[in-house]
Amino acid sequence: MSGRRLAYHGCRLALGALFLVAGILKARDVTAFAGEIAAYRLLPYALNYLVATTLPYVEILAGGLLLWGRKVRGAALLTALLTVVFVGAILSALLRGLQIDCGCFGGGPGQSLWFALLRDLGILVLAHFTYHLQPTSKPA
Amino acid sequence: MAYDRLSRDLLEALVILAVGVLIGLSLHSRLLLDAFSGRLQPRAPALSAPAARFPAPIDLAGLRRELQRGTPIVDARLPELYAAGHLPGAISLPLADLDQDLAAFLARVPRAQRLVTYCNGYGCPDSYDLAVRLLAVGYRDVLVFEDGLPAWRDAGLPVTEGETP
Repeated sequence: MSGRRLAYHGCRLALGALFLVAGILKARDVTAFAGEIAAYRLLPYALNYLVATTLPYVEILAGGLLLWGRKVRGAALLTALLTVVFVGAILSALLRGLQIDCGCFGGGPGQSLWFALLRDLGILVLAHFTYHLQPTSKPA
Repeated sequence: MAYDRLSRDLLEALVILAVGVLIGLSLHSRLLLDAFSGRLQPRAPALSAPAARFPAPIDLAGLRRELQRGTPIVDARLPELYAAGHLPGAISLPLADLDQDLAAFLARVPRAQRLVTYCNGYGCPDSYDLAVRLLAVGYRDVLVFEDGLPAWRDAGLPVTEGETP
């Protein structure tokens, strides 16, 4: 296996596993997740629930497809777009000085927003390489 | 060519998003209906939390430190007393109405957030009782300003009047 293919599969599997785990952790308690989104104070009350009940399954689906190796480019693109949104939310929380949980991987103390920001940048790198290293010579 | 591929990938991403959203909507339609109709009730507190945590008392100096850090201050007294005068920026969460007000409070203040409760000083147990209840529903760090509003006012510090925003 060439280095390029190795890098592609490594990025794809890491990205997929991250999103699958993050989605499952959030889906286990969507009400708590709604509270964590509400803590960002970006959305009206009921919309926090709308995001909390849908986002985990989008993450599970995208992560699962990446691991499975199907629709990889679409899934990688989606994870990148979602991560850009997350980065925006985290930045806005940091700028407003909110002391809140990231809410990134289910509930849990000690997830600082700065760390979450760094991790999201790492995710963007993974998504970038997954998208661009994906072998395109295969017939559609 | 490249543009075509990008738009096809975007379409793929959109489809994944839509399917995920639909799964979430169908799995949680009840919760969503409740949330959008404002009927959402607070859940029973999780009992897995570490047993027997107690709120820690702080004095006026401690309270001022917490205020500087932006810690939310929670007024445990009745709404009429709150309206008559409260700490600037305090959130009104009367112990007597807790069952009714808890859901909104939970949505507003994350459980990881440190809180300070207060009421009318040493003659008033409500701030301590409220702190115990907040710990029981999952707040991790609740402090009690035991000296309460009287000590604050006697120190010549500003008191805000009026209803809660």
